[in-house]
Amino acid sequence: MARYGMVIDTRKCVGCYACRVSCQMQNELPVEESYIKFYEKETGVFPNVKNEIIPVQCQHCEDAPCVSVCPTKATYTTKEGIVLVDSDKCIGCKYCMVACHYGARTQDHNTGVVEKCRFCAELVAEGKQPACVSTCISNARIFGDLDDPNSEVSKAIIKMNAQPLRPDLGKAKIYYVR
Amino acid sequence: MVWGTIIAAYLFLAGLSAGAFLTSSYAARKYPDAKTVRIVGRLISPIFMGIGLLLLIVDAEAGLKDPLRFIYLFTNFSSVMTIGTYFISFFMMAAAYIALMELLKKDTNKIVEYVGIVFAVATAIYTGFLIGVIGAVPLWNTAILPILFVVSAFSTGIAGTMIGSAILDKKVIHQVMSIKKIHLTLLISEIFLIFTMFLITSSTNESAAQSVSLLLSGEYSTLFWIGLIVIGLMVPISIEALELWNSSKFHQSQAGIEVAASGFQGITSTLITESAVLAGGFILRYLLLAAAVPVIFL
Ligand code: SF4
Ligand code: SF4
Repeated sequence: MARYGMVIDTRKCVGCYACRVSCQMQNELPVEESYIKFYEKETGVFPNVKNEIIPVQCQHCEDAPCVSVCPTKATYTTKEGIVLVDSDKCIGCKYCMVACHYGARTQDHNTGVVEKCRFCAELVAEGKQPACVSTCISNARIFGDLDDPNSEVSKAIIKMNAQPLRPDLGKAKIYYVR
Repeated sequence: MVWGTIIAAYLFLAGLSAGAFLTSSYAARKYPDAKTVRIVGRLISPIFMGIGLLLLIVDAEAGLKDPLRFIYLFTNFSSVMTIGTYFISFFMMAAAYIALMELLKKDTNKIVEYVGIVFAVATAIYTGFLIGVIGAVPLWNTAILPILFVVSAFSTGIAGTMIGSAILDKKVIHQVMSIKKIHLTLLISEIFLIFTMFLITSSTNESAAQSVSLLLSGEYSTLFWIGLIVIGLMVPISIEALELWNSSKFHQSQAGIEVAASGFQGITSTLITESAVLAGGFILRYLLLAAAVPVIFL
């Protein structure tokens, strides 16, 4: 069984928002709502400063706090390790939003359901790439099976020493090159 | 604020309801004559819990649109909210039964009352654990928070019960001096717990330190100092202490109670004190939700 994950190379990311727009289209989100948020971080001291653009979305945590707090089991983890929300079970209590370390969830105010990045589970099931990955203009995103050592994503993680955003906050399935 | 005023009100009402139930059970045993206190506590308890639950339903937008979904609330045993749903259900059933018996002027089943007491305590603790287990918000994620919530729940429960009792029966509030003593102890502990919690969390965590400074000196400092500390705690502590001081001069005789009830401290001071406690109880929960700074993940 595959265990899906992603690498995001922030050195390649130019902050063009293409991934965000394609995600909004894929998930039919209104303009003001999105599953990908952009953060900017400046590190270092002048003149050696580094300015990073860091796209953040659901990290598909193993042992995800959103899954354990969700009272209705609307949020669950699939066999492939993708964290999904069953929109027919969600009551919109927002407990998962409070519990997520990455602020990765948003509430759809038409339905009241809380949603987030789903690794485009339906595209992946057809053998395609998630929308953000196939749209990224600079190939900053790589998606695939973390359990397969020969997958592009596994190789990239090793080659570029990609790390989760905050390994201390639990195991995430998105790895960043920074 | 992901969880805002509505959730603060819900946490407050659930605590108040649990506290009122405990107050009435205590009064029923300790002061069989002070019937009003018992009756008021028993009646307001399911009412306030009911209002709290309605607020919760209104806040859960997706469930509001499709109410059958609330059944799923009982399904995930790893969720504190599910466990709380069970606690509240048992508590509600017991509280509603006892209130009904009171209205019908029938004797209550002792076992149901004990079940009610257990689940009242469980409900009060749960309101603290609900937010206390959230690792993403260090201000909440301390062992002290559930204790603070229980103390505050009991305190607001006493306050609600005393206001109702004072309005219905001027004398009765001067009969139940040990309740006032308990109340005073709770209020003083609350101040102590709040500052201990701040001290511990802010020294160990950066986000919690930010939350604490939002409360002590930042955006929410006026509401914290004036609303919670002065109005919600210091004012009731002072008045309550004064009342206890004065009442020790009267012996607990009928005449003493009459004098106390007719004096300047008739019911005005009770109404002021207890309303202040209620305001403080709500403000406490509101502030804790408002000052929730999450872990900085970047
Ligand atoms: S990042 Fe947030 S929403 Fe995604 S799995 Fe982790 S806790 Fe859940
Ligand atoms: S908002 Fe929906 S998905 Fe989130 S915890 Fe509540 S029921 Fe679960």
